[in-house]
Amino acid sequence: MTGFDRRTLLKLAVATGVGAGIGIPLMSGVGGSSSTGTVLRSQLPLPEPFTQPLTIPPVLTPVRTEADADHYELVQRAATVEILPGVPTRIWGYNGIFPGPTIVSRSGRTTVVRHRNTLPVPVVAHLHGGHTPGSSDGYPTDLILPPGSSQPMTMPGMPGMVDPRAVVTVGERTYTYPLRQPAATLWYHDHRMGFTGASVWRGLAGFHLVHGDEEDALPLPRGDRDLPLLIADRAFASDGSLRYPSVDASLRETAGVTATYSGGVLGDVILVNGTPWPVAEVPAVRHRLRLLNASNARRYRLALDPPPPGGGGLVQIGSDGGLLAGPRSHDAIEIAPAERFDVIVDFGRYAPGQEVTLVNQFGAGSTTVVLRFRITRRETDDTRVPATLPTVPPLDPAKAAVTRTMLFSDHGGSMGWQINGRPYSPGYANANPRLGTVEVWRLISDFHHPIHLHLVHFQVLSRGLSGPGEYDGGWKDTLDLRPAEEAAVIARFDDYAGRFVFHCHNLEHEDMAMMANFETR
Amino acid sequence: MASTPWTYWPFRIVVTVATVLLIDQPVYAGQFLSGTFSALHTHRENATAAGIAVLVAAITAIPIRWPGRGPLWPMLASIGLFALIGGQIALGFLRLLTIHIPLGVTIIVLAVLLSVWAWRPHPPRPEPTVTQPERQEAVR
Repeated sequence: MTGFDRRTLLKLAVATGVGAGIGIPLMSGVGGSSSTGTVLRSQLPLPEPFTQPLTIPPVLTPVRTEADADHYELVQRAATVEILPGVPTRIWGYNGIFPGPTIVSRSGRTTVVRHRNTLPVPVVAHLHGGHTPGSSDGYPTDLILPPGSSQPMTMPGMPGMVDPRAVVTVGERTYTYPLRQPAATLWYHDHRMGFTGASVWRGLAGFHLVHGDEEDALPLPRGDRDLPLLIADRAFASDGSLRYPSVDASLRETAGVTATYSGGVLGDVILVNGTPWPVAEVPAVRHRLRLLNASNARRYRLALDPPPPGGGGLVQIGSDGGLLAGPRSHDAIEIAPAERFDVIVDFGRYAPGQEVTLVNQFGAGSTTVVLRFRITRRETDDTRVPATLPTVPPLDPAKAAVTRTMLFSDHGGSMGWQINGRPYSPGYANANPRLGTVEVWRLISDFHHPIHLHLVHFQVLSRGLSGPGEYDGGWKDTLDLRPAEEAAVIARFDDYAGRFVFHCHNLEHEDMAMMANFETR
Repeated sequence: MASTPWTYWPFRIVVTVATVLLIDQPVYAGQFLSGTFSALHTHRENATAAGIAVLVAAITAIPIRWPGRGPLWPMLASIGLFALIGGQIALGFLRLLTIHIPLGVTIIVLAVLLSVWAWRPHPPRPEPTVTQPERQEAVR
């Protein structure tokens, strides 16, 4: 071999090495990630999808109805249920079921819910999306201790940290929800400081629907054609229990998850209303699907497969806080944890006998499918999607009293998910909005952070240098903030003076300190 | 050593300005990611400025060749860099950061190399006269 050949060969080898060294990492990660988190795999064989029927959580009956309020009672307790066929699974549930019973309220009519805690840990119940006074909002330290407990001097997981304002009860607590807000799909779930992720994962979540006259007057599908769908990913351990990487298995002392999963816990089983990949038989008529992403960290891009002829199969009529100003047709919907999308699907666009799958275009392997509809027969359908829905008056940024910037970013460690460089502390308020004023909040992220504000609903003004995104319509309480993104939202802080939290609704991020207070005055 | 002819000076100055503007891009991006919203706007405006500077650099590379009889490739390289910046701006708006960031690094490396080359000594090329032996070689 000549020197020239050797040199050429060497150059070629170097060029190949450099090309591979840059090209392989570049191309293998070019798609980025659709969720921030790490997949936790089940240690049991997973069931065949679309073999178990979809169930709808039972509607809770009031224990007492008075002139001005409906009273409900819920018992938070452990129970053994069958989620995977033939496998007993221990859960924590409201009334021992997952999802918990659905509470149905009327807009403007007070709902009172008495929660009894029979679990071995403290709990906090929060009505997500409720316009609720602070005393009933489920502040993360307003614990309901297990019966017989004595009041703790320090906060669990935070040795030496005391929240002097916490209102701790033993055994039970009554939450009062005035619900002076439009008809909307709300949900309730655990909100205990440091342990929300683990508790919701075990089953503490349920629907709370608000109906109203304005919405009832519209010719929308109702009754058994109005389907609340709680979508949540989970993983199962070999003994059938729900697998979750808590640092502290007792869920009493040390908050958060192990380092591998600190970005978020993603399961490999998709549950809809507590059933893995269920199948629903539906007549070929319009249905209202109330999509709720109750997952800890997983984002979904939901689409119908096959799409109906002509596309636009998911007609969005509502968002987190109620109906949109007008319907919006989507081929797919990107939904982050805690977001709700109310959509109308016209199964009349399919043929009887056809099967339509709600797929997750952000999924991989077992998480690419969610739910299947089997179209049964044609039926009369007197519903339609009105061209205009109740007005959503736009809030004017020019009238904003103040603009605030909130940076959601990772600082490493078990308290590393922070807002403006501070881990959550009950004693510090990042903002003191005056009641009756409008504020613009600029939210900035490093990773995927679904940002949830308590008390208010907001409108999205912009994302980065452009307008609101495709999925930002209507009144929101949770914003799907994507990596390295800024979004401006506008909200009116109204009615209730007090201390409220806002936080990332990736529940692992929330538990590991990505939460802060605002105090209205 | 003979000093570098004037024909290099416009390119030296402009390509240096362009390189500085390009290095400012990750500076603004970093500030945005640290929570300074206005830095995102500056990142966009500065991208336009840097693109224009690179285009001007391509124009100022012309005298290196004509009348300077130096190489033509700096002009072509500047045009190529301008094309990459155009793509980079589009990727930024599409939020395709998995390509936007490595391409940004590549653009800066290329701009720095171009600047370093511009500031190296470039002895004047001898006049092409028929009395020069190599010229006689060439025409024979």
